[in-house]
Amino acid sequence: MTTASQTRSNIERHVAVRRKPLLPAVGRRALLLSLSVLFLAYVIGPVYWVFVSSIQSEADLVSVPPNWVPDDVTLQNFHAIFFYDAKEVTYESRRIGDPATGDFIPTAAQNLLPALYNSVYVGVWVAILNVLLSLTAAYAIARIRFRGRRPTLYLILVTRAIPDIALVVPLFLVMRNFLDIVNTRESLIITYLAVTVPFTVFILINYFESIPADLGKAARVDGCSHLQVLRHVYLPVGMPAVVASLLFAFLTSWNEFVLALMLTSTIAAQTLPIVISGFVFDFTTSFSLVNAAGVVAIVPPVVLAILFERYIVSGLTAGAVKG
Amino acid sequence: MARIRCENLTKRYGSVTAVDRLNLEVRDNEFMVLLGPSGCGKTTTLNIIAGLEELTEGDLLFDDTLVNFVPPHRRDIAMVFQSYALYPQKTVYENIAFGLRLRRMPRQEIDRLVQEVAADLKIAHLLDRRPHQLSGGQRQRVALGRAIVRKPSVFLMDEPLSNLDAALRITMRTLIKKLHQTMRTTFVYVTHDQAEAMTLADRIVVMHHGVLQQLGTPDDIYNRPCNMFVASFLGSPQMNFVEGALERNGSGYVFRRADLTLSVNGLADNLASAHLGRPVVLGLRPEDVDLRQTDGARETVACHVGLVLPLGSEQHISAVVGGEEMIFKIDKDVEVGVGEQILFGVDPSRIHLFDADSGLSLHASGRA
Repeated sequence: MTTASQTRSNIERHVAVRRKPLLPAVGRRALLLSLSVLFLAYVIGPVYWVFVSSIQSEADLVSVPPNWVPDDVTLQNFHAIFFYDAKEVTYESRRIGDPATGDFIPTAAQNLLPALYNSVYVGVWVAILNVLLSLTAAYAIARIRFRGRRPTLYLILVTRAIPDIALVVPLFLVMRNFLDIVNTRESLIITYLAVTVPFTVFILINYFESIPADLGKAARVDGCSHLQVLRHVYLPVGMPAVVASLLFAFLTSWNEFVLALMLTSTIAAQTLPIVISGFVFDFTTSFSLVNAAGVVAIVPPVVLAILFERYIVSGLTAGAVKG
Repeated sequence: MARIRCENLTKRYGSVTAVDRLNLEVRDNEFMVLLGPSGCGKTTTLNIIAGLEELTEGDLLFDDTLVNFVPPHRRDIAMVFQSYALYPQKTVYENIAFGLRLRRMPRQEIDRLVQEVAADLKIAHLLDRRPHQLSGGQRQRVALGRAIVRKPSVFLMDEPLSNLDAALRITMRTLIKKLHQTMRTTFVYVTHDQAEAMTLADRIVVMHHGVLQQLGTPDDIYNRPCNMFVASFLGSPQMNFVEGALERNGSGYVFRRADLTLSVNGLADNLASAHLGRPVVLGLRPEDVDLRQTDGARETVACHVGLVLPLGSEQHISAVVGGEEMIFKIDKDVEVGVGEQILFGVDPSRIHLFDADSGLSLHASGRA
């Protein structure tokens, strides 16, 4: 004979019994909300501070307590970046050379626009060349069975295991002694490609292998050469991965600091991170100008991400083959 | 128009041999079906004919021209895939027109051909849609359209109907047969479905483990299987097998196993005499028995009905014969009850005998 309690425990063992929630519903929501707010503050806070401080004068910026909401909005930092106007500092006008007055603009501000141009130039070329090189390599490795296919793949991946910094000195020597392109934008493009191509190839191989092989075969039979298969099938179907690669290469190039520091010495090739870091002097740092430059540096990647957002959605292969 | 000839065609993947020394000639305008279970090498063979895979050894000839190293886009072939493989980003129109565009055909000509094919396949109203907006049957029609619009000299099909439901499969089967008759080109069709093979083929190649088992007309393959694999692969329900011994009986031979004794016709004399007293396997198709015709001209089999499985159009009954459970087909109208004793008539010329070890047929090839 089984007792009632035994029967009940048997039922509970076999049926998912609704448990009493750990926290009451209201408390749960409050906890989630406060955690979300904390997280948002963590993510947005620094960006907000960069933006707010870029539209204040140096004097307002360093005041105590800090102005969380700017008192006195000024665009003088941006004006200084985009319309740099060298002021001669004489004994009479010496106050403009004094950061404490709030009007101090370091002369390096005139380098920001050329640096912006360098960054965009290098970034765009790296993005384009990276995708062109990686597409062909990834297609070949993913879809053509050739002798030495696996070793090629491993060789490409192994290069990613070496830290970039370990290669700085040999790289510099090659650039200077053999290619003689130190302090040019081309040296940066070549170097960044070496960083981005292996990774992009790896990403694209994975994506291409997820595209049904029959699609490529159908195109081959329809009359495509391998290059045409790539152009007419793998490129359009793999667009999300291609766009992601474009963004990845551009951002890598845009943010890179150490290699650019080594390979460039003048504004002929220096990129934004190098020039912005130059605002930190031994005696003084113009925070508001650094932050204004920071805002300038943030804008292009954000615009790119927004522009390409709609391409970064998968699901284009849906309907190609029966799932 | 093309003949296809495989000479000792072999494909190896590392240590695995997918196709083993295949010799095959597909005649001009022939509908050739490659039939076999999955993994038997039929799709690999098709891919090699298409040029999508390289052969390891042997030669492949189209009309006496060696094409071993000719890439697929120079072979004048069209192919239909099990997965349809429609280009997802293109509309139905663009999917069909793609092959023609690559050949730089004038725009009006492309338009005319696409409209013509679309009308033939009854997909003219779908031309602006994309593949993901179509049903399975519609996608398969588009895939067919993409292939026939180019008027290729060889038409390759890789299990094109396997993803369709049963009713649609029969409609499409008819469509493909009609296509072959109107286009008059060489078709090579891969399938694991015996019904497709039997209904469509001029000749069938049965493959197993990468080796050609038998090549012949559907009638040859079904009625004169050369070994137990071919015999068991075709037919539904499967052929019944029972192992026993072969004995001489006057001028003929009899098969004996427990209570079962059947005389067998049409054996190759040299093979049969070599197998006297040795284990052989008797094969009997479920439909090759007759409940009503039990007169003296035929052999008879007595048994008890074990199970009755009515299918509507016919009935299957299972019964133990010669110590083995066998399935027989009988008319839908016959009334039989479980446990009932029944008597079958068997035509001796319908009995198949195989060597128990090698599985090879003991019949003279080309028997009636």
